[in-house]
Amino acid sequence: MLLAKIALGLASTVAFAAIYTFREGVIRVDVDEFRDGGSHVHLWVPAAAVPIALRCTPRNHLENAAENIKPWIPTIRQLAKELEKYPEANLVEVVDGTDQVQIRTHAGKLQIDVHEPGESVHVAVPIATLEDISSQLTENIPGA
Amino acid sequence: MFNRTKLFVGINLLSSMVVLAGSSAAFAQSGSSKDRWLHVRVINSDHKGEIVRVNIPLELAESVLPTISKDRLHNGKVNIDQAHMNDVDLHALLNAIRTAKDGEYVTVQGSDQDVRVAKEGGRLLVHVKDNKGSKSNKSDVDIKIPMHVIDALFSAGKDELDVVAGLHALALQGDTELVSVKSEDSTVRVWMDSKNSSD
Repeated sequence: MLLAKIALGLASTVAFAAIYTFREGVIRVDVDEFRDGGSHVHLWVPAAAVPIALRCTPRNHLENAAENIKPWIPTIRQLAKELEKYPEANLVEVVDGTDQVQIRTHAGKLQIDVHEPGESVHVAVPIATLEDISSQLTENIPGA
Repeated sequence: MFNRTKLFVGINLLSSMVVLAGSSAAFAQSGSSKDRWLHVRVINSDHKGEIVRVNIPLELAESVLPTISKDRLHNGKVNIDQAHMNDVDLHALLNAIRTAKDGEYVTVQGSDQDVRVAKEGGRLLVHVKDNKGSKSNKSDVDIKIPMHVIDALFSAGKDELDVVAGLHALALQGDTELVSVKSEDSTVRVWMDSKNSSD
């Protein structure tokens, strides 16, 4: 009986965690090199983990990053805020022979796809995460 | 003990429902946004067939531009170097055009180019047609800018173009084609409508 209760508790916690992760979304990075010995990187990171990871990052590293992109932080912040209003939009598409670049929003994520012979890169970041990251970087601007 | 477990499970389920409700509410909100879109399409008909499509919501451009401070662009305004204006007082020129009646202002028919500048239906029209050069180099350029957009662009000051004010004025305009360039090997089109994708 005790085991059943523990299992029930665990199951509902896992369900809650899964729903929370689903809501926050997943950051996805896929890099594929289509050649012998080419690398294939497939990274799925729950977006909910990003603010936590940023809080755990050494402060001097965050300050350095914030200092470097300081002029662009207001732009990134405003862009993220505005992009949330457009969950489905093809923003930029460039096709040049077999090369293709696409920047779009899809299902509340900012997606960047690059395809060229022998290589493809796909990055998808929940738009809300961009806002979280820029907010945290703003907090870490030295002297701010 | 069993009651506490039930309570824990209940709280978890309730939290899950709240989280899900939050996401659907956010989705419903985001789906209701109706805006004007600026489209740019470039098609090169060379062997590679390069195509560029850009679709930008005007509201997004209006709110993001003032945050960019780079080179001549600051606070959504572009600094115009007077040295490149050949001593032409643009404000006086625009004022003259604004108060003038509709009609053709400039018509040049040359061996190199035909140029036509006119004001028609509250829009400034510029048409340039190349007559010289090889067939692939010849181009046909059409620019149609609403006068109130031009007014807004020059509303900032003598040496500045207020791009944000221009975009804001453009957003009040109905569906319209702004720029069209046609040549043998490429076409460029800039237009505005309420669709979030180019045709």
